[in-house]
Amino acid sequence: MSRDLAERADGILRRDFLKVVGVTGAGATLTGCSTQDVEKLLPYVVAPEEITPGVATWYTTVCGGCAAECGMWVRTREGRAVKVEGNPSHPVSQGGICSRGHATLQHLYNPDRFHGPMIREGAVFRQGTWDEAERLLAARLRRARNPQNVVDGGDVLLMTGHTGPTMSRLLDEFVAALGGLRVDYDAVSDAPLLEAARIAYGVSSIPRYDIGAARLLVSFGYDFIDTGASPVEHNKGLARMSAVNDEEGSKGRFVFLGPRLSLTGLNADEWIPIRPGSEAAVALGIASAIAGPDAAGPYASLLQAYSPASAAEAAGVSEEAIMALAERFRSEGASLALGPGVGAHHRNATAANLAVMILNHVAGNVGRTVHYDTVSSAAANPMAEMQGAIAAMAAGDIGVAIVHGANPAYSLPAAAGFLAAFERVPFKVSFSSAMDETAALADLVLPDRHFLEAWGDSMPRPGVMAIQQPVMSAVPMFDSKQAGDVLLAVLALNGTAQASATFYEYLRSAHMAMHDAAMGDFEAMWREALRTGSVTHAMPAAAAPELRAPDRALAFDTPAFDGSGDLTLVVHPSSRFAGGEFANSPWMQELPDPVSKIVWHSWLEINPVTAEARGLRNGDLVSVTSPHGAVEVPLWLYPGIREDVVALAMGAGHTSMGRYADGHGVNALDLLPASAEQPSGAMVTLATTVTVEATGRGMRLATVDGSAGDQHDRPIAPAVQFALLGQEPAAEEEHEELMELQGGGGFIPVPAEDGSPASFPLEGSRYGMYADAHEGPRWAMAIDLDKCTGCSACVTACQAENNVPWTGEDQVRMGRDMMWIRIERYYEHVDATQASDLDVRFLPMLCQHCNNAPCEPVCPVFATYHTPEGVNAQIYNRCVGTRYCANNCPYKVRVFNWYRYTDAIPEPLNWQWNPDVTVRDNGVMEKCSFCMQRIREAENRAALEDRRPVRDGEVVPACEQSCPAEAIVFGNIRDPNARVTQVVASERTYRVLDVVINTQPAVNYLRKVTFHEVEAGHV
Amino acid sequence: MATSEKEVVERGALAHPDLHRLDDVNRDVLRALKTPGKGWWILFGVAATGVGLFLGAWLLIQVPYGIGVAGLTSPVGWGVYITTFVFWVGIAHSGTLISAILFLFRAPWRQSIYRAAEAMTVFAVMTAGLFPLIHVGRLWHAYWLIPYPNSRFLWPNFKSPLVWDVFAITTYFTVSATFFFIGCIPDIAAARDRATGLRKKFYQLISLGWQGTDSQWHHFGNAYVFLAALATPLVLSVHSVVSWDFAMSIVPGWHTTIFAPYFVAGAIFSGIAMVITLVVPMRKIFGLEAYLTTKHFDAMAKLMLLTSLIVFYAYLSEFFLAWYSGEEIERTAFWNRVFGNYWWASWIMLTCNGLVPIMLWFKRVRHSIPALFVITIFVNIGMWFERYVIVVVSLSHEYEPFAWGLYRPSIVEMTILLGSFCWFGFWFLLFTRLLPPVAIQELKEVMPPPMRRKKSLEAHG
Repeated sequence: MSRDLAERADGILRRDFLKVVGVTGAGATLTGCSTQDVEKLLPYVVAPEEITPGVATWYTTVCGGCAAECGMWVRTREGRAVKVEGNPSHPVSQGGICSRGHATLQHLYNPDRFHGPMIREGAVFRQGTWDEAERLLAARLRRARNPQNVVDGGDVLLMTGHTGPTMSRLLDEFVAALGGLRVDYDAVSDAPLLEAARIAYGVSSIPRYDIGAARLLVSFGYDFIDTGASPVEHNKGLARMSAVNDEEGSKGRFVFLGPRLSLTGLNADEWIPIRPGSEAAVALGIASAIAGPDAAGPYASLLQAYSPASAAEAAGVSEEAIMALAERFRSEGASLALGPGVGAHHRNATAANLAVMILNHVAGNVGRTVHYDTVSSAAANPMAEMQGAIAAMAAGDIGVAIVHGANPAYSLPAAAGFLAAFERVPFKVSFSSAMDETAALADLVLPDRHFLEAWGDSMPRPGVMAIQQPVMSAVPMFDSKQAGDVLLAVLALNGTAQASATFYEYLRSAHMAMHDAAMGDFEAMWREALRTGSVTHAMPAAAAPELRAPDRALAFDTPAFDGSGDLTLVVHPSSRFAGGEFANSPWMQELPDPVSKIVWHSWLEINPVTAEARGLRNGDLVSVTSPHGAVEVPLWLYPGIREDVVALAMGAGHTSMGRYADGHGVNALDLLPASAEQPSGAMVTLATTVTVEATGRGMRLATVDGSAGDQHDRPIAPAVQFALLGQEPAAEEEHEELMELQGGGGFIPVPAEDGSPASFPLEGSRYGMYADAHEGPRWAMAIDLDKCTGCSACVTACQAENNVPWTGEDQVRMGRDMMWIRIERYYEHVDATQASDLDVRFLPMLCQHCNNAPCEPVCPVFATYHTPEGVNAQIYNRCVGTRYCANNCPYKVRVFNWYRYTDAIPEPLNWQWNPDVTVRDNGVMEKCSFCMQRIREAENRAALEDRRPVRDGEVVPACEQSCPAEAIVFGNIRDPNARVTQVVASERTYRVLDVVINTQPAVNYLRKVTFHEVEAGHV
Repeated sequence: MATSEKEVVERGALAHPDLHRLDDVNRDVLRALKTPGKGWWILFGVAATGVGLFLGAWLLIQVPYGIGVAGLTSPVGWGVYITTFVFWVGIAHSGTLISAILFLFRAPWRQSIYRAAEAMTVFAVMTAGLFPLIHVGRLWHAYWLIPYPNSRFLWPNFKSPLVWDVFAITTYFTVSATFFFIGCIPDIAAARDRATGLRKKFYQLISLGWQGTDSQWHHFGNAYVFLAALATPLVLSVHSVVSWDFAMSIVPGWHTTIFAPYFVAGAIFSGIAMVITLVVPMRKIFGLEAYLTTKHFDAMAKLMLLTSLIVFYAYLSEFFLAWYSGEEIERTAFWNRVFGNYWWASWIMLTCNGLVPIMLWFKRVRHSIPALFVITIFVNIGMWFERYVIVVVSLSHEYEPFAWGLYRPSIVEMTILLGSFCWFGFWFLLFTRLLPPVAIQELKEVMPPPMRRKKSLEAHG
């Protein structure tokens, strides 16, 4: 990667350096930060200096979407943020951004945001002024704290979610000034992992994993690439770990243990479908096998109590599988065990996390692939604390409840009794910028700014600090104010003024206080942090912490599950909505779930064998009943789940969150008990059994998967066995006839003499039906299927970049999704009954830009044609809409505007539109353009700078930019030194369906590499 | 036209037993133009309502809202509209076949039905021609398919079969409409001579000054032969071109060399069936039983049987070749045809077009007009489904399994499908009221010579 980065730095970073540098001085205030009152939208009577109409300005900031705090670049046009991208110079995320990160842009332009502070009057809200709202809050706080007030007095309760460290400090100070209580709560939390780290090593931070360095990766049900603590970073790590290392001739192996294959699980080489809750027993069984009879250390006795046999017994898999895995731990060198994550927060989750830590310890991974940073922050006990807060509210002890960055009315199981308790609080305040279930109950709403409009900071890991800067002035139609400013103003009104009047000053002074003079000038450091997006402090090398004996008794056995249902329910965070906070984004609603490929509605995952035994079919509406509640949800038959388990994703089923969230799907938490795992206090997600009964009704699933994951032995997503790499590929022999045909066909190739980059693509094959008259570049793409994890970040990136509209549940159900790129997911071998090789193929399918494009000759009006640069271009305003091109496209990557879908997009969601890309009309065909606007931008820039040619790596399509796994490479295939040419020279290269229909695509794929033998026909 | 009486009779041309004077023919045929019966009005009312719904669904719903009101989707971008387009083009074929080819081959039994068949051709092409317009996403730009000089120097793509289609359909429409109109001229003149008022003016205008002089008859005869010769290759070419809309693509199930002859045979098959479907009620309504006898129906039934065999052979050879090719994707496409989601459509096709016409081997069936009528209804349905199977089923199950999908026609599409029959019926009903539905002049040709008139007059007393 470092080499890649260096190459990119040559091209891209330099440009963005120039752009980003604009923000450091006057730029920051001119674009409007929280120091000013909300600006009025004015035309450019006097244009701001740093804005050139038609030219993008880029700013770095920090993604506020989740606690991973990835680095972001934000592209702004004429003062509006239009696209977020991963910041390659950020030390944690290292470029790439997940699909949820992209969707944060839709929260910025969320049409359901509050238009100003809202004050409850009876049953409705009245929009007030900020002055009025702040005075009201200050007065109510004084009143509540007044000891004489026995009517509606009481403590102040602050319920918060994820915030940056400085904001968190301010919240603490605010609570301290009022003598109140603060509770941090998120349904998706790492509390058991934190608690286990505290018990085992006395540290209170999440362990840092160097996944890329591992040769054997074992996940105990942890969905780390999708919904884990740092999805982008870990996704990148997985891709690097599993990629073939040509120099060493090695490839990391990934084993997944768990009752259900999450997206992470689908990327495993082997699946051991253990019983839910048996993670600790399995981890300890493996550890005991590794450690042998003379295990030492504080957990020696524990290890002696477990064995592979007991692990196999608990997990319901064969002892051989456990022994084989233990053997791999011994033989594979650097290994790493992860998990279990939120989807496996059962009542012994802390013990399970501790067991995995012991396994890592025994396998010698601490300090090698697992790092425990010794920083101290207060250990959270979220659910348990929340239960205490609910009890206090219910008892009438709370006078004012303030909610910031959390939505407890949605993200707590109904059984927790939050709603009734919250109702009892005399004065309820929400800082939510848009309506949600909690804000709907509030008496006062003080809409916070979106992170792209506000100041903040992040510390994704010790030693790494990143400043979150506003990239644009606040969206003018929403009269919002940064929560930090409001808190400071309220404190001042109540006579407890802080040194800083605004949060911006507060933030700067906090960093100034932390600043070590030895590191140079503070202002220089600050500017550098804004420019590059982060500052890394050298951390003193800390000795690996010692494993300690537990300070409390822990049960490592499989916990009992509630109820007497015959199926165990797994509730896991959603790929698209996380815990629910992304549900009001139509991009997320319409992004096909990476696992199920379903959009908009919820589904219950069930093994086909279980379903068949009960006479249930795909799409049957079933009622799922647990001791704690019931929901009605359609079934989706999934081979990647144990036969005794069903799974439901969190995050859907909102009731008052906005137009895109409400009424779609069900809230999985309705089935869960309101109990906290001990001792971490996390909400339990794997705690109950359910019964599943048919209702007699059914529905057509809104899915984009047309063949239920079966690729019907077609040459679409082939694979090659690792052991066979370097040998003569069988594929070539098979298609000798085709090669012969192509050789004699006039427009096709002579076989390559050698495998060198210069001889690829084959002479003559590059141009298909079109004459080689052009001297310029020939654009091509390479996608490494061995790296692709199917995370779907590229899908949302493409949607954001190319103004691809969403169409809605019913339209997708009909087959009318508009995605220009889709991730095809094919099961090759999935066995939920025993430990076995797992083979699931992901294939990003986009326009293949065929050199013999079947779509081109059939268009009656030349609306689609081939550019001399090898791009299959679509001219929207020439298109008549015969749809012949789509019929004739074997890849089915052309999408048609059945309606004027963009009409349904309300203000200001349409502010996100990329001004460089046409918004397509009703009745025209559209498809991937290889991000033509980005090619043109790079060419124009190159022409302006000394009329030089475009450098390799300078044109980065949106999909490539986003890809956390770095699976996509784009460039000029005529350039023998271009990265794409070098990648394509791999022996794994093939082109989809080319051997069948000779389309000669410009998109080249590299086969997935498997450890097991690939069946004939699946080449 | 100079055929001996004996020949004429042998070939099936029959003089009407009740008509003895040339005048009688005029009177009899033209009577149909005068008195619209209640039945006509009812039918016309239904057709006009249907046309209203048809145009409303298309121009007031589909055009403003978008083609999305149809059930079309990805991967099935062509559906009921293209199916119906091909169906109507197919219907249009038999008219020309009957009037031109049978004319050139001197099969005089055509004389009593060819006018109706020609009218059917013209109206069927008119109907068919609407469907590409209904089908495109941007109707207002559809004229871009026509090569015309423009300031942007943009030309259509002559590689595209859709452009060929534009030429094929417009040519066919022009030639068949001209052929139809030229053939009508003497009869329009006859109608003119009997009509009064506004009607007379109208006939005067469109009879182009026909006086029935020797010179006019001479030119008429030449023109008719010439147009017949011109129209004949079109019968083969138009549907071949339409078939290439499919055959030129790479869609499994479309990309087949057999398509041109297969489509032409299918077109004649469905066209003949439609002629019978239309002529049976017409014969009753206009009292033309004497002109259209079982002998004619027998001949048409035989032609239908022949084309049915060709079509059924084509079906079987497609399946055989899909298997014989060894190409997995091709095999799956055809397996899916009969056992996939749309199995019912394929079985309707096979039953109606292959199995039901087996009954035509029996003379009793061929001679039973009710039986023939029922069979032709089956064939019409079967031939519509044949196109549906080709268009929809092939598209739903192409190369990329992940992108397989299903298509369900929407209400708007079904309205437009049914409305197209009303549109066709609307013009056809108008035709029966405005133009002589049976060719007067050709009937007269087969009238017995005048001397026999006396005899038969005597016989009648």
